Amino acid sequence: MTQAFAASSDETMQQPTVRVVRQTRSSLIAFAVSIALLVAVASMPLWASQGLIRDVVELCCYVTVAQMWNLLAGYGGLVSVGQQAFVGVAAYAMFVMAQLWGLNPFLAVPLSVIVPAVVAAITYGLLHRLDGPYFAIGTWVVAEVLRLATSVFGYVNAGAGMSLRVMSSYSPMERAVGISLLSALMLLVAVGGSYLLLRSRYGLALVAIRDNPVAAASQGVNVGLLKFLIWVAAAVGTGLAGAIYFMAQLRITPPAAYSPTWANVSIFIVMVGGLGSLEGVLIGALVYFVADRWFAQYGATYLVVLGLLTLVMALFARGGLWGLIQKVTNASWFPTRRILLEDKP
Amino acid sequence: MQWLDGLIQGILLGGLYAQYALGMALMFGVMRLVNITHGDLVILLALIGISLASTFSMGPWSVLVVLVVLGAVIGVILQRLILNRVVGADPLPSLIATFGLSIALQNAMLQIWSADTRSLEGGAIVHASFQLGPLFVGVLPVIVLLTATVLTGGLDVVLRSTRFGRALRAASADVEAAALTGVNPKTVYTGATAIAVAILGFAAVFQSLRSTVAPADGAFQLIYAFEAVIIGGMGSIWGAFLGAMALGISQSIGFRIDPGFGILAGHLVFLAILALRPQGLLGKG
Amino acid sequence: MSAPLLSTHGLVARYGDFQALYGIDFEIAAGEIVALIGANGAGKSTLLKSIMGLLRVAPDMVKLDGRPVGGTKPHRIVAEGVAIVPEGRRLFVGMSVIDNLRVAIDHAGRPAANGWTLERLYGLFPMLKEKQAVPVQSLSGGQQQMVAIGRALLSQPRVLLCDEISLGLAPKVVKEIYQSLPSISEAGTAIVLVEQDIGLARATSNRLYCMLEGRVSLTGRSAEISREAIGEAYFGGAHAVA
Repeated sequence: MTQAFAASSDETMQQPTVRVVRQTRSSLIAFAVSIALLVAVASMPLWASQGLIRDVVELCCYVTVAQMWNLLAGYGGLVSVGQQAFVGVAAYAMFVMAQLWGLNPFLAVPLSVIVPAVVAAITYGLLHRLDGPYFAIGTWVVAEVLRLATSVFGYVNAGAGMSLRVMSSYSPMERAVGISLLSALMLLVAVGGSYLLLRSRYGLALVAIRDNPVAAASQGVNVGLLKFLIWVAAAVGTGLAGAIYFMAQLRITPPAAYSPTWANVSIFIVMVGGLGSLEGVLIGALVYFVADRWFAQYGATYLVVLGLLTLVMALFARGGLWGLIQKVTNASWFPTRRILLEDKP
Repeated sequence: MQWLDGLIQGILLGGLYAQYALGMALMFGVMRLVNITHGDLVILLALIGISLASTFSMGPWSVLVVLVVLGAVIGVILQRLILNRVVGADPLPSLIATFGLSIALQNAMLQIWSADTRSLEGGAIVHASFQLGPLFVGVLPVIVLLTATVLTGGLDVVLRSTRFGRALRAASADVEAAALTGVNPKTVYTGATAIAVAILGFAAVFQSLRSTVAPADGAFQLIYAFEAVIIGGMGSIWGAFLGAMALGISQSIGFRIDPGFGILAGHLVFLAILALRPQGLLGKG
Repeated sequence: MSAPLLSTHGLVARYGDFQALYGIDFEIAAGEIVALIGANGAGKSTLLKSIMGLLRVAPDMVKLDGRPVGGTKPHRIVAEGVAIVPEGRRLFVGMSVIDNLRVAIDHAGRPAANGWTLERLYGLFPMLKEKQAVPVQSLSGGQQQMVAIGRALLSQPRVLLCDEISLGLAPKVVKEIYQSLPSISEAGTAIVLVEQDIGLARATSNRLYCMLEGRVSLTGRSAEISREAIGEAYFGGAHAVA
């Protein structure tokens, strides 16, 4: 093997000049569009109706939770079906801080992510002992434990749930401003943060782990530590979405906070949009959002189709819609990989 | 006395959980995958059984025969159509595929049977009980436990001393080497899934005789099966059986401490095992 | 020479983007012992994997009795009468010696008139009879290799592929195992021997193929090929230049 390389190196003595490029024209356009969208979300109170704000906040939460799942499954090789655990604990932490401790609710939202971070750190110690698919079911058990524990926890009003009455001390406009800014911040952290993470050397290491964990470990990548960090980071992002979502709802109960729907929606969005890419999550979230608005009235039938679509994607199109688009156009909106361009002499 | 009763009831409940867990242990052992529809299939079979019983006025034992056969057929179809395409080193495809199927199945059942809880009419045997010292023990739970014991023992014998069992153990140990010794992995996989779902036919009848079923209940059966397998020790048939007993006892004792604490107690025992003895009760170091 | 029992024709194999074999022509007749030598990574194991159906190859690239069998699934190839002693033995850990052997018996191809039976195998390796009930992981390396060979033989092969069966074994054990080969081939079973030890390969085989970077660099009757020719074919032109 080494001889094959030794022999061929003679022929390629004069190395062609190459440049490493990550920006493309479509990525520049996408960058500009993203900035515009962020500004649009942040400035919603100026131009959008209450109903639209509610819808957009919900969509932002889906995008975030799905992107966190994507980070876990698409890059960290950690398949979770229990992300609702982090939605729930963060949302409850926010309610406790704001309603029971009297903290400013808009401050309570970012503070509340400490709880999912701690829960994630503790549970990882247990869950990482489970092999592949069993890890996934383990995450579900953790979410169930938290749901059941919350349901019997008198301090948070047990199964009856809580209302965020402190919000009534703010005018509707103040609430809209606060929640729009928080949503924009969340998108920036979740999507922008993942983008920066994946472009960093840690991102390269993650891709290496995904493609071949053994080889990555032998190249000095600390696989265990990286997986742990990504697990905690995803819990923080998921929790942030949970806190914002339930602040918009103004009410929380254990079944809603720890609803498996969060896992269902993330998995659908990522698998239909495209695993392991930021673009896929955005596409998937839009598809889900539109489908939910148009077809949710068909109830169970709609969910049957959603489930079957996820199944079909897993069987036949693992790259999702984005994978199919890329086959046709080869454009990348958020390029995280490096492209080698050969300069003509 | 309350605690002794809790222990006995727990063991009997474990008999039902063992019937959920056996198939999962078998499938994970040979394919390294978890079928997320595992619990939904119990519910599907149970609902079909309940409909059969009321439509053709069949007794529970003839329903049992039909469901076991139907389970095997569903297992073969599931394996051929879906699982054979996603079996492999990466756990993601099989998880996602069966996860999607699970959502579809649950909602399809909701459409067909509505969200009502239903149960199977079993006649006198459901309420029969006998006195064991100071305690009263139900006849049906004892039948469930005996059935679980016979199923576990039978599966053990099949794995130890039949052509299929040897092929299955060989494929579990090293599927490529097994193929190079003439074993067709897909035949083994199909057999394993057919047996696993056929056993769920027993679970379906006993579940719907002992209590009730509703379309969304599958998640619980999946989680109980999983916890039993991990508590007992992965890849061991008797481990799954023992884990099911441990889970049943935990829930039953927990329930006697506080009715809201029963299921949670089972989860906590599972987490404790994961923390203190991750290889499970019967697993080796 | 009689018509080949097993042959490959311009066999090309790749692992993803990496091409490992560039047109291998190989053949072996009934009763022959043919050695396959070459440096690490030359493609010997890849050739065996391609024959066994573990890598995707075109049907015409592998022929058994002149019939195209390339790309046939491994378990069907075994049923057709080709068995392999895989590199690293790959025994069924957790199962007893006899159960490892029974898997082969259960799924064997058409048994020949004087096919392999447990009795005949125990005659070849008496150890196997003594250790029947022992789990394979508690055997020594040499004993494990005998189980692996026994398992392959009980598949009733007409062609037996042996991938580095001497690797990691004590010289005494290697000698014992190699002494068993002639009695296997006498009955008409063709043996392909992938071997690192060139001297051993040459002494045991009727013919040999030397592989270099995915190609056959030398082939001929083992007794007639000079050490120098093998050295050159083994290391390639770079060696000659150096």
